[in-house]
Amino acid sequence: MAKKVQIRRVNPKKVDTCKQATALILDYLTGELDPKTARLFEEHLMVCPDCVSFLNSYKETIKFTRSLSYEDIPSEMKKRIRRFLRDNIR
Amino acid sequence: MLIQRVKAGDQKAFEAIFNHYVSRVYRQAFKLVGNEADAEDVVQEVFLLVYRKAKSFLGKSEFSTWLYRLTANAALTKLRQRKKEKEVSLDEYFPKFRKDGHHLVRPVVDWTQDIDKFVAIKEYSQIITEAMEQLSPTDKAVVMMSDMEEMSNPEISETLGISVQAVKARLHRARLSLRGRLTSHLGYSPT
Repeated sequence: MAKKVQIRRVNPKKVDTCKQATALILDYLTGELDPKTARLFEEHLMVCPDCVSFLNSYKETIKFTRSLSYEDIPSEMKKRIRRFLRDNIR
Repeated sequence: MLIQRVKAGDQKAFEAIFNHYVSRVYRQAFKLVGNEADAEDVVQEVFLLVYRKAKSFLGKSEFSTWLYRLTANAALTKLRQRKKEKEVSLDEYFPKFRKDGHHLVRPVVDWTQDIDKFVAIKEYSQIITEAMEQLSPTDKAVVMMSDMEEMSNPEISETLGISVQAVKARLHRARLSLRGRLTSHLGYSPT
């Protein structure tokens, strides 16, 4: 017997307001919105310069966070930790 | 595999693991705890745990994943002890909306167009770093893992023991707060 194929219907989310659009930014940026909601989101952007500005600054914030750089472990500290471990694991 | 030799008490194998991973563990710890002294404590604790708990590493995941989890947990414990003293509300940096659902303060300024004119890169780093300090330990860990370590949401969920949905909610909240702080620093309404 042929197996029934179940098509999962996804109800698109509403994107009538900036509040609704803002709540979808994360999923929009990772491509996790269903295609219809993504289209509604983009349609909202086309008529809402405030949300375009907001989205740009949200993306820029991620860029800044990604660009933070950190120093390597100081060599003196590495020596101290090595000594500490030598004294504590025997 | 080195960790198998550590299980058998091989000190040289442990030394090799330490040399190979210490810089990575330190950087991961520093990103969360934010200062050298606490990062040093975390690194000490993590490698002590590696030695003492080597037998509990069953090899179901990569050694580096296990090590990362030990580091995140040790750093979060450190952070939670500290955070008990100060708890800051992030609400003032979240976007605000009118009753009809549109932005409360309009126009929303797109500062990304000319930010370089006003703020040096070093200053951004300082603002973001300070803003990260105000996040709850778990929110901070989520941002760090997602935006700095480029881990996937399921990986973060597994490392922190929270649902993927919770990871996404915390990540979005934290980014909104960081964005609000940057916007406010530039003299615009964060809403």
